Amino acid sequence: MKLRRKLFSSKDPYDCTKQQLFLDACKENFNHLINNCDDYKKICEGLDIHSSEDIKGVEDIPIIPTMLMKQHDFRSGRYMVMATSSGTSGKKSHVRFEFGALWSALKMSIRVTRYHGIMTAKPCRYIVMGYKPHRSNKTAVAKTAYLTTFLAPAISRKFILKHTSEGYKPDFESIVEALKKYEKGKAPVRFMGFPSYTFFLFRLLEERGLSFKLPKGSKVMLGGGWKQFYQEAADKETFYKLAKKTLNIDEENIVEFFGAVEHPILYTDCAYHHFHVPVYSNIVIRDPDTLEPIGMEKTGLVNLISPLCKATPILSIMTDDLGILHDGANCPCGVKSPYLEIVGRVAPDDIKTCAAGAADILQGVKV
Amino acid sequence: MILFDGKTYESSEQDRLLNELEERIPVILSKEQLSPEVVIDAVEQLRVDLLKGRFDDLLTAFPEDTVETYKQQAEALLSKEHLHKKLVTELGNTEEYVTDKIDGFSQIKVKKMPLGVLFHIAAGNMDFLPAYSLAEGLMTGNINILKLPSADNGLSLKLIMQLIEYRPELKDYIYVFDTASTDIQGMRKMAELSNAISVWGSDMAIEAVRGLAPTGAKIIEWGQKLGFCYVSKPGESADADAKLEGLAKHIATTKQLLCSSCQIIYIDTEDMNEVKAFAERFLPILETAVNGNATQEIGIRARDTLVSYTQRLKSYLGEEDRRDNVLRGKGCSVIIAEDSALELSPMMCNVLVKRLPRKDIGKVLYAHRYHLQTAGLICPDEDRKSISELFVQCGLIRVTEPKDMSAYFPGECHDGEYALNRYMRIVNIEC
Ligand SMILES: [Zn+2]
Repeated sequence: MKLRRKLFSSKDPYDCTKQQLFLDACKENFNHLINNCDDYKKICEGLDIHSSEDIKGVEDIPIIPTMLMKQHDFRSGRYMVMATSSGTSGKKSHVRFEFGALWSALKMSIRVTRYHGIMTAKPCRYIVMGYKPHRSNKTAVAKTAYLTTFLAPAISRKFILKHTSEGYKPDFESIVEALKKYEKGKAPVRFMGFPSYTFFLFRLLEERGLSFKLPKGSKVMLGGGWKQFYQEAADKETFYKLAKKTLNIDEENIVEFFGAVEHPILYTDCAYHHFHVPVYSNIVIRDPDTLEPIGMEKTGLVNLISPLCKATPILSIMTDDLGILHDGANCPCGVKSPYLEIVGRVAPDDIKTCAAGAADILQGVKV
Repeated sequence: MILFDGKTYESSEQDRLLNELEERIPVILSKEQLSPEVVIDAVEQLRVDLLKGRFDDLLTAFPEDTVETYKQQAEALLSKEHLHKKLVTELGNTEEYVTDKIDGFSQIKVKKMPLGVLFHIAAGNMDFLPAYSLAEGLMTGNINILKLPSADNGLSLKLIMQLIEYRPELKDYIYVFDTASTDIQGMRKMAELSNAISVWGSDMAIEAVRGLAPTGAKIIEWGQKLGFCYVSKPGESADADAKLEGLAKHIATTKQLLCSSCQIIYIDTEDMNEVKAFAERFLPILETAVNGNATQEIGIRARDTLVSYTQRLKSYLGEEDRRDNVLRGKGCSVIIAEDSALELSPMMCNVLVKRLPRKDIGKVLYAHRYHLQTAGLICPDEDRKSISELFVQCGLIRVTEPKDMSAYFPGECHDGEYALNRYMRIVNIEC
């Protein structure tokens, strides 16, 4: 995985000159997968891609839909961490990461967050809007594990939701106590988490009439699934206002990022709220009827490509999202790479059928 | 949300309400019987308001042309006249009568009565199915407990509440729960309150219901069925091309999702070359129909593409049968298989073509007797009667023109029986 190491060591996370290296790293990943994952090999052969010779460009790499990953567990060798996506209909995909993938993800996280001024040498206090990792919740562990990849220089960490005997409960009092303490200190505070949880905290603070003046350099970082991202886009303005009102954090200090369990690449918004594609990934938008690439500025299925991981064939995946890739060359932020806009989601896949029998009721239940 | 006695409650109140229902049922059973006229009147009012556009905002989730089709169907099928006809067709003479006198025996009064309490488990596989199933239960005078499918978007509940608004006396007979399919305790309790369970769904779902039903409860199954089209000597049958176009349109519009949808086209031959030749002939016809029916909604198109593609990859993984011989068209495919088994296609306009010489029809249909329902038929006119007869002898329920495989025929039965009849029992009272 020499080429992966090289790619993920790129100095500039938005370096547009690395396309050849990216393709070569993908081929390297492809060669590993096809030799180590029987299921991947079967799919490639079915699609008539027999070796990396058949891959002329990133769009030729066999695509695995997340829909399939939710129905089929792919295995490809040893791994260290397994992450589970949250599924709407109870179906989940399992993604396994080996040490090299985690190491690459960490390097990526450091580069990207440093680029966006999120990570500084200055130690910070972290407030995580989510669960404290707990054995009973694999999904949450995965999400939190993802977030904590860039928690390295933390002085302290607080989690807003605590596991109790009655399930997860907001630990509001201790967050308020912590904020009172942090307000007087020098270390910047970092709020991290999914927009919904963060929103939840802001609302609680507002309801109780509480507001804080946090040290300079404090930021709110929003992450989460793609889905949450666009569904809550409408509430953004309110969100910015509440952040200012309750924590005295300005809009430019609210940074959004997102990724998916099946494509754990860190996308962070630039000062103009564009999610530019970093050097670690490529995005191909595909025709909703034929799956052929359709280029920029057109709506289609979102195909995400990254040679990050060896232990699961997530080299080229397709989500249920519909998106548009925009030309980023003219973005005033200076990043030249294209940026992705998620515009919606495909219709629900619980297709109504009585021929197949609706597995809807009593599915898999042994009475 | 729960609908109980005409009022809505939070889902969390389920246990309390089910206990209350246990007390209520004997009281309601002892009351005067619900007249079908009340139900027919409520449905008629619903139809009128629907056609006036009163529920248009509830139907925005459906594509426009689907809404049009639904409205046309509602106009005809929910009318007073049609419902009265349905009662007569399905129940025959519901008026009571007295048996003829036979020496040495007493005479009896014979009449049909509701089963009592019906528990409907409607899968989310057809829009309006939950409300429809419930309406049938009401027309036969039963008390109805309805478990909504988890995918229900609130439409069923709205429609049912409308019925109660039109005729408040219906509220004693309607109890709707949004119980999760995994809430076995809750479903078992509902089953224990019932005389019969009407279940729509897959073999697996039916098996699960059989497991949770009390021994004495009648189980009324509406199971999963597989449709096919039989093609015999297409060269000799008049307007075979037009019929194939009709079949292609049927496949494109139902996307092979219905019980009656065509999953397989059987060719009356043993020769695989004929099967291949047919597949090549049919592909462009299917492609034209599919493209003609393509929806403009990108979310649906993208979903269908993803489902087909996922299905295709699964076939490579060996989770679905591997098919080497697939003719791919835009948005559809024709899959050539050497066996003759009746099975589910990958659906979404991916149809199987197989050989089935006439002499083997009996063998194949018997092997698949639990899943038989509809067959389309393309053959020379002189063979039509004999093949139709052979089909129904071997267990088929409907034999239709290919284009009408999923059509509704007023007066038709469902899977060989009349629903209303299954929701009633016959009682005898000695005179
Ligand atoms: Zn930018």
